Amino acid sequence: MMSPSVARRTIATPVLLGLLLIAFALVAVAVGSKPFNQTVIDIFLKVIFVVGLWVFVGNSGVISFGHIAFACLGGYVAAWTTIKPMMKGMSMPGLPDWLMQTEIPYWGSAMVAAGWAALWALIFGSVLMRLSGIAASIATFAMLAMVNSIYSNWESVTAATSSVVGIPIVRSIWPYLVAALISVFAAWAYGISRHGLALRAARDEPTAAAASGIDIPRARLIAFVISGAIMGMGGALYSHSIGIVTPDTFYLGLTFITLSMLVVGGMGSLSGAVLGVLILSTLIQTLRRLEAGVQVGEITLALPGGVQEIALGAVMILILMFRPAGIMGNKDLSLPQRAALETRGPTGPRT
Amino acid sequence: MGSLLQVLFDALSLGSLYALGALGIALIFGVMRLVNFAHGDVIAACVFALLWPSVDAVAIIFAGNLPWYLLVPFVLAIGAALSVACEALVFRRFRRANPATMMIASFALGFVIRYFLLMLFSSRPKSISLLPALSQPVEILGARIPLLQLITIAVTMAVLFGLTAFLRRTRFGLEMRAAAENFTMARMLGVRANRVIMGAFALSGALAAAIALILGSQTGTANIMMGASVMLMAFIATVIGGMGSLAGAVLAGFLLGAVATVMQVILPPDARAFRDAFVYGAVILVLIFRPQGLLSARGTRERV
Amino acid sequence: MSLLALSNVSVRYGRLVAVRGITFSLGEGEILFITGPNGAGKSSLLRAIAGVTPPSGGRIDFADHDITGRAPEDIARFGLAMVPEGRDVFGGLTVEENLMVGTGMHSATRGWKARAATELEAVYATFPVLKDRRHAQAGLLSGGQQQMLVIGRALMTNPRLVAIDEPSLGLAPNITDQVYERLIALLAMRKLTLLIVEQSSTRAMMVGGRMMLMRGGEILLDGDARALGQSEAMQAAYFGYGEP
Repeated sequence: MMSPSVARRTIATPVLLGLLLIAFALVAVAVGSKPFNQTVIDIFLKVIFVVGLWVFVGNSGVISFGHIAFACLGGYVAAWTTIKPMMKGMSMPGLPDWLMQTEIPYWGSAMVAAGWAALWALIFGSVLMRLSGIAASIATFAMLAMVNSIYSNWESVTAATSSVVGIPIVRSIWPYLVAALISVFAAWAYGISRHGLALRAARDEPTAAAASGIDIPRARLIAFVISGAIMGMGGALYSHSIGIVTPDTFYLGLTFITLSMLVVGGMGSLSGAVLGVLILSTLIQTLRRLEAGVQVGEITLALPGGVQEIALGAVMILILMFRPAGIMGNKDLSLPQRAALETRGPTGPRT
Repeated sequence: MGSLLQVLFDALSLGSLYALGALGIALIFGVMRLVNFAHGDVIAACVFALLWPSVDAVAIIFAGNLPWYLLVPFVLAIGAALSVACEALVFRRFRRANPATMMIASFALGFVIRYFLLMLFSSRPKSISLLPALSQPVEILGARIPLLQLITIAVTMAVLFGLTAFLRRTRFGLEMRAAAENFTMARMLGVRANRVIMGAFALSGALAAAIALILGSQTGTANIMMGASVMLMAFIATVIGGMGSLAGAVLAGFLLGAVATVMQVILPPDARAFRDAFVYGAVILVLIFRPQGLLSARGTRERV
Repeated sequence: MSLLALSNVSVRYGRLVAVRGITFSLGEGEILFITGPNGAGKSSLLRAIAGVTPPSGGRIDFADHDITGRAPEDIARFGLAMVPEGRDVFGGLTVEENLMVGTGMHSATRGWKARAATELEAVYATFPVLKDRRHAQAGLLSGGQQQMLVIGRALMTNPRLVAIDEPSLGLAPNITDQVYERLIALLAMRKLTLLIVEQSSTRAMMVGGRMMLMRGGEILLDGDARALGQSEAMQAAYFGYGEP
């Protein structure tokens, strides 16, 4: 699958990124405040989503607006498999009996969610991956809208647009850290695998890649399924982090935030994906603090609601204008004495 | 007969909205290969232009009180101005960028506009009564058709004929069509790039405003999300119509309207809520068999 | 006084240098053939003159204006008409609409409509086949007809310099003959300067005029077309043997 020498040359990237995430976790423990704990959990979840998105978008160069649909699938798996049977009967009476009786721990639901999302990624992907460029991007958008429309209306198994409550809340940061680390290492392993290399070759030189026998739709499908699985896992954990789920949790807002993190960090590299999350999360937290209000003497100064998203959008546009390859500019983190690794392709995604 | 006629008018009026939306997107795609995700938010902004900024639940009507012959030009002008501002402030700097980069930039810009509205007006839908006289039904061959539906269809037809005449008969229209086919060549023949692109944005913004007027009168509410669903269908229509083909976009818009209306009728009651999901699914299938769209424009095909 | 003057013009695409510091000037009424093998930088040079790919270095003057880095539409207004390679007709527009696109740049001057109409008749007189098919979609014309259309379209802008990239590309020899016949007839009729890019020097030798040979982004030879075409230096330079 992957040559050991490539693995040795590039292992520094996931290790460094992993250490960075662990450092965040340790800071959270040291600070020991509950809101900060939640913030760090939120960052880990975004890392999972953005890394999952990167596996497809970064390697294939096809922009997807639809990946949050897989998070939605995963989020509801958590609701279906972990809520107490009695509560399920009230909010989602249409579930089949065996599912109604199922009650598994959060890590089990995360794994089932990954599998369930991967299955649907396979189904959607085998159709969508035959498209390319802008048509593919818009079709992924249609997929997102389709999943959202089904989950917002299928009252008996999703409670439609009302919140499904009672999902066991996991407050410890460690499971989220572990899942983020798994995502980062999985994304790295995929990136240096035969399939990942072939897909990036196809992204940078589509004609040459097709001529040398790379089956582009199939290569894209593999990436789509793997990224779908990661998104599904992230979706389940997201549900466990807040205890409730609605279809609109996983819709345009989350799509926007994850895409902007990927763009700002740089979609050409795994490090870009992770750093994009860390940088924008910091910005979001700062803005959120300001929206809540800052005490200056006797007066509380607060930014009006919405400034957060406006600022995010502005940052995203400015990055696209002046540094379209993102902050990392397609490069990956590596130890200084080693040469920069893998993707050194030309800038940005292609359509 | 009456109910059949009812379905026909439903399909035409829904299709009108999608066609107007698709036209606004295809116009811009034609001249600069930009898939403008901010279009839906321009629609929402036009509705809110009728209100005075306030986060209260009750809408403070501002321009909404104008008589219709002032109201309509006012809203159209707002749409055109906002759209041109998007071009001048943001998209102009992306002229040489690749289509994917422009697409994400427009997505971000759409969010900026939406949350700007949220900041000014809050996210709660507000009820407005825009041109209330239009909601009365009229009787045609035994079917009770809301007057607004008739006006929607008539306005759309007028816009389509007007736009066709504009594109075919005027110097500016000629330059725009030439630029849509081959921008560089048009410039080498002295066609001013900025003028054509600005014109396309102004037209597209005015189309967004027309949708805003129709939607606002139809639903009686102003909602920051109101452009989103029309926009998604409009996107799909532009893709099915063949990116960049104006006629294709319009036809596909009407086709989508017809499919959605017919599904509403023939689907079993339990499944009606999933109408849109069925439409999206049908669209994905169409794209599989005709990835270039049903009516693909010459010279706008993408490579791999 | 020269109509077009290039001094030390370079064109690059990223790291690739297509044109390396070219200097030459072209007088009013001249015919200049630029020949050279594939990849010599001929088309890049034309694109730089037309403003499509701004030069990375050097200076271009045209009709008493410094046009370095100017937009293509401005350069067109100074009187440069470009006929790019590959017959870029607007396929969805009719023949007549194609011809009319370029007349709009004079719309600020008085009487432009009447002049455009006269011009149109003149082009139809030169290329009668275009008149026959004036309402046909340009995309449906044959290759030779399209070539005539793009040349006619360039003439409609009332240019001082017409730059044509590979007018014979993809055309049958007898059609190419026709195209050239018309071009030469046109030269006699109006005050035009011609810059023609061709891969081979055969046409240049037949038509006569001045010829430059480009290779590797540089001008290797410059002189009278007929004299140069028969010289051995030409052969050597074209194929690259006898290089230091």
